[in-house]
Amino acid sequence: MANMAVSRIKREFKEVMRSEEIVQCSIKIELVNDSWTELRGEIAGPPDTPYEGGKFVLEIKVPETYPFNPPKVRFITRIWHPNISSVTGAICLDILKDNWAAAMTLRTVLLSLQALLAAAEPDDPQDAVVAYQFKDKYDLFLQTAKHWTNAYAGGPHTFPDCDSKIQRLKDMGIDEHDARAVLSKENWNLEKATECLFS
Amino acid sequence: MGMVFFAKDILFSWLAFVIYDKKCTWNIMGNCLKMSNSDDISLLRGNDSLNRQTNATQPIYHLDGHDPQIFYPTASVSINNTTSTAHQLYEDGQVKIAKRIGLMQHLPIGTYDGCSKKSRECVICMAELSVGEAVRYLPCMHIYHVNCIDDWLLRSLTCPSCLEPVDGALLISYDTT
Repeated sequence: MANMAVSRIKREFKEVMRSEEIVQCSIKIELVNDSWTELRGEIAGPPDTPYEGGKFVLEIKVPETYPFNPPKVRFITRIWHPNISSVTGAICLDILKDNWAAAMTLRTVLLSLQALLAAAEPDDPQDAVVAYQFKDKYDLFLQTAKHWTNAYAGGPHTFPDCDSKIQRLKDMGIDEHDARAVLSKENWNLEKATECLFS
Repeated sequence: MGMVFFAKDILFSWLAFVIYDKKCTWNIMGNCLKMSNSDDISLLRGNDSLNRQTNATQPIYHLDGHDPQIFYPTASVSINNTTSTAHQLYEDGQVKIAKRIGLMQHLPIGTYDGCSKKSRECVICMAELSVGEAVRYLPCMHIYHVNCIDDWLLRSLTCPSCLEPVDGALLISYDTT
């Protein structure tokens, strides 16, 4: 990898390690391999959001042209958010695309992602299904997002109703993750979800 | 300072030449332009010299051992495609880059004197600016290593620190002078 990319990442890594946020356990970063091309980030779900209490792991790939091009970032932890794909974890965030600037760093990227969790942009969605639920059935969106945070990121809120519906589908031989995804998409309507799975 | 300007001008004119030269190569592609090592007098000798040269149908360009440096405005511009639209895109990209280089020439270069008490770093490479290094000043007065900022400006005409558009500010400065 290009020299500047490696030396920048090394400096940024130290910057994150020294930052206030790491003391507060709100962001974390670690190396995946020795070549400094791939890192693993972690952000805490911001307070007063359905993601509160959860820890979300991110895959960060540093391109050879860094810092002239943005790092490639995606959620490894599954999350229910209008700007993040519930299937692949792909993120729709302007600074990771056209609005990237060379002065941005791993720390600012992680903090921006945390801010994205606190302020979704449903009009510029990555996941159309989630965005539709966010705009049309906000209460249901909150419940689903909290349920996903509990199931995948260690969040505190449990929803026995959701769990029992997932169990019903599991009893029919459906994979737990598929069952959760279909039920979430069908606004937790068990009949519709079953129809969707078996038609 | 004067020397820095001079060296930079040569670099830019060389880049502009390479880009211009590249355009010509595209334009004459397929015209079967003859190139040979013999001098022009051979053309006056009539048929036999022409026959000797018929195998030299491909234009050959030498750049004194230098690979022509080609810049791409964005990663999304595809040059692998061989359709004419791709060529057009490629050419448009080169023209855009040439214009950018022209704009960048108007941004002043100086040597870092380190007069401010606080040490400053070039936010692109994150290395500290050391006294005597060549730095480029943007209209917003942010400074960077010349090599670092030039690479960035070829991709985006904004200041990496404050996102102030560089071309807009330059155009305003043209208007007022």
